[in-house]
Amino acid sequence: QEVTLRVHQMLPPQATIPADAITPWAEAVQEQSDGRISVELYPSMQLGGSPDALFGQAQDGVVDVIWTVLGYTPGRFPKSEVFELPFLMSNSAEETSAAFYNYVMENSADEFESVQVIALHTHGPGLFHTKNPVNSLEDIQGVKIRGGSRIISNMLAQLGAEPVGMPVPQTTEALSRGVIDGTTVPWEVTPSLRIAELVTNHTGFSGENGLYTQTFGFVMNRGTYESLPDDLKAVIDANSGLETSKMFGRAMDQGDAAGRQIAEDAGNTIITLDEEETARWREAAQATIDQWIADMDAIGIDGEALYAAAQEAMAAERQ
Amino acid sequence: MSNIVIGLLSFPVILLLIFLRVPIGLAMLGVGIFGSWIITGTFNPALAQFKSLTYSTFASYSLSVVPLFILMGQFATLSGLSAALFNAAASWVGHRKGGVAMAAVGASAGFGAICGSSLATAATMGHVALPELRKHGYSGALSTGAVAAGGTLGILIPPSVILVIFAVLTEQNIAKLFMAAFVPGILAAIGYLIVVAIYVRVSPESAGIRARVPYGQRFRELATIWPVVAIFVLVIGGIYTGIFTPTEAAAVGAAGTGLVALASRRLSRKGLEAAILGTASSTAMIFLIVLGAASLNGFLALSQLPQFAAGWVTEQGFNPWVVMAIVLLLYLVLGCVMDSLSMILLTVPIIFPMMSALDFGLTPDEFAIWFGILVLIVVEVGLITPPVGMNLFIINSMARETRLSETFRGVLPFVASDVVRTIILVAFPPITLGLVWLLY
Amino acid sequence: MFQDKSPLGRGIYGLAKLMALAGGVVLIALVLLVVVSVTGRALLWAGLRPVRGDYELVEAGIGFAVFAFLPWAHLERGHAIVTIVTDRFGPIVNRWILVVTDIMMLVAASFIAWRLYDGMLDKFRYNETTLLLRMPLGWSYSAALAGAVVFVIVALYVLGRSISNAMGGRSEIQSSGGEL
Ligand code: NA
Ligand code: NA
Repeated sequence: QEVTLRVHQMLPPQATIPADAITPWAEAVQEQSDGRISVELYPSMQLGGSPDALFGQAQDGVVDVIWTVLGYTPGRFPKSEVFELPFLMSNSAEETSAAFYNYVMENSADEFESVQVIALHTHGPGLFHTKNPVNSLEDIQGVKIRGGSRIISNMLAQLGAEPVGMPVPQTTEALSRGVIDGTTVPWEVTPSLRIAELVTNHTGFSGENGLYTQTFGFVMNRGTYESLPDDLKAVIDANSGLETSKMFGRAMDQGDAAGRQIAEDAGNTIITLDEEETARWREAAQATIDQWIADMDAIGIDGEALYAAAQEAMAAERQ
Repeated sequence: MSNIVIGLLSFPVILLLIFLRVPIGLAMLGVGIFGSWIITGTFNPALAQFKSLTYSTFASYSLSVVPLFILMGQFATLSGLSAALFNAAASWVGHRKGGVAMAAVGASAGFGAICGSSLATAATMGHVALPELRKHGYSGALSTGAVAAGGTLGILIPPSVILVIFAVLTEQNIAKLFMAAFVPGILAAIGYLIVVAIYVRVSPESAGIRARVPYGQRFRELATIWPVVAIFVLVIGGIYTGIFTPTEAAAVGAAGTGLVALASRRLSRKGLEAAILGTASSTAMIFLIVLGAASLNGFLALSQLPQFAAGWVTEQGFNPWVVMAIVLLLYLVLGCVMDSLSMILLTVPIIFPMMSALDFGLTPDEFAIWFGILVLIVVEVGLITPPVGMNLFIINSMARETRLSETFRGVLPFVASDVVRTIILVAFPPITLGLVWLLY
Repeated sequence: MFQDKSPLGRGIYGLAKLMALAGGVVLIALVLLVVVSVTGRALLWAGLRPVRGDYELVEAGIGFAVFAFLPWAHLERGHAIVTIVTDRFGPIVNRWILVVTDIMMLVAASFIAWRLYDGMLDKFRYNETTLLLRMPLGWSYSAALAGAVVFVIVALYVLGRSISNAMGGRSEIQSSGGEL
């Protein structure tokens, strides 16, 4: 073998993306390069640092490839952040990932110019997982809910809930002891956090949009990529871009199905708010979108245009 | 030279540096950085890594409990709670054979229930108990031995700084680990009481008799320890009713002991300053070692040694119980010359995945908790094993007329009870896991 | 010059102590912050609220406190060491061992401060903020840098002190140091 690629990320190897997206990617790259590229996988932040350092590690060449949540470094990807806005995403992570990838390439590629992008993707629709059932907007008034990102915490506050900005590893314990009453995550994360054992109610929305999503990047150090001979660059290129992003999104969709199955098997209540109620939530969430646009305008970015571009990218995937 | 060999070689190098008096955290830090350099062939990753590694290691939410527990111990010492605990215990059992030493052990257990640090417990209790023990004719060996051993209850009984570090390293639930440590911690206290009882029967000249205290005064003494009980109930109750998380509990406990110190009027400006500076020294010592471990563990992962070791041990098909015995013995031996925190940070990243690969008939979570408690006990034994045992040094320096060799002799029966307890806990995992099963 | 009672020594002690006390004040402030936040969360029904961004404030505060504690611990010889072997070497060898380990600590302190400085520039350059309060991480890094710089200054002094002791044939007075 000629090249060793060290891949670093924060989750254990059996989690959805490491097992069903990164590992297949590594196998494909090793096979298509006839073993000239060897990929070493380092899960659970084994090579050191906190998860918010991952993007910097790829950029500075601490490792060759990283996978991270873009929201771990708030403020760094302001234009790409638009995909976290409520009710923008569709119910499919594959579709939304494709839209996100295309959106970034057209509107915010500069935010990723320090690295070589392999895939950009999202997770499936985020839901409410709560101790007491959430059947209407009134049911979350004053309820302590962990929000996964800045936007989602803003949205929770604007909807009338009490957002708690707790780190993920604390969530399980906090839920089991009642420190918090609920959390917002996609189905895919619920098995590892044992959510279906801790709460009995899960609330999603009708219509073609999900509540919210988070965005992820699977990126390579630029120097590593540039130093590859052309034929190996071609192998990486063949395993990068729109199709790879969709593959990551697909893994998320499958993870969602598995997570939902566990909640169903546990006999939990899965609530889908009807269109009328969903419309009320969308209306309430508009404040979060307006706030984001105003925040962007304040730092000299045309938030309105980016929001429109994101909606367009989503619409293009639906056809 | 393969990377695995480089990983393996790092251990003798670190030990050599440590024995040449290089601060332990510094030795791990240096070996981590240079090891990574040898494996990757470039210094750039280390340069880039340390742009954020030091800050993120120090600004860690889960490790925030470490300085808070230490501050709590400082406040508890200032407030005179330790003296109240000892006097209460002594008034009830002091007149019995060996009773004053038993009171020291009991008071240490009580103090340990709110303080997460072993040396703080030993030092505080030594301050209060040693003069009383001398006054009532206890030998230097028994006095210093009992107080030094009692000090380990500070960490064996939750809350415990070492368990927090273990939980962070192995990604385990801190509340469950605290729960699991409870019964073994009580067993440790009972074991030490039994040792005292046997000691004074085998060697009656080593203990005198304290005057019997009338019941009225006993209850009055007992009433003075209410702040300890209140803080304990507040912290444990708060965690298990969901008012706050175990991490937040450290701050609540520190606030509680701080209030007691404030109310006791012992919290002068000077006292507060000393409490902060004491917290500063201990905290910086721990975090330098944690930083060293972060650097070293990154290098070890790069060398693939932990992955290799785990795979190798499973392939050999060793008897898991034999491997467990060897690992615990290794900790006992290492504990003779190293401090508990460095040992955990240095070895757990290799040994934990290796041991997890073996089958003890437990689920992965159960194994992690059980193993964590076993490791906690054996590394804490290190605090009272000669020749290097921090508790022994602290206590011995407080008892000027007692020679160090006497202290060594006096503590050995307590070490023996630790060994017996470890064997029992290895043989019967439900003793450790029972409370966790019950409450989760 | 490099003696604890000299003007330089007293100045360094004052500086390290000031830094450590600043860290301690922040630590106590965090205790209050957490208690207020926990109380607010428990009494939501009474109209109180938790402190928004309490988790990220704790992180930033602990980060500052630990950096602020480093100089004091080194000055007071608070770091964990093993003396079982070196105790057999005699005072002269031990004094020079101290010089060597103090050089190593100075190198480490300078490395940590230098890298932290670069990290701070990165945080400012990429506008990274905390999650909820959107507090620029560059600020937290700058606060930490104060402790890291004082650590370098103290490490320089401590090295000077051990060299001057080794040359003058004096042994350092041992202090109890950090405890767990
Ligand atoms: Na304790
Ligand atoms: Na020892």
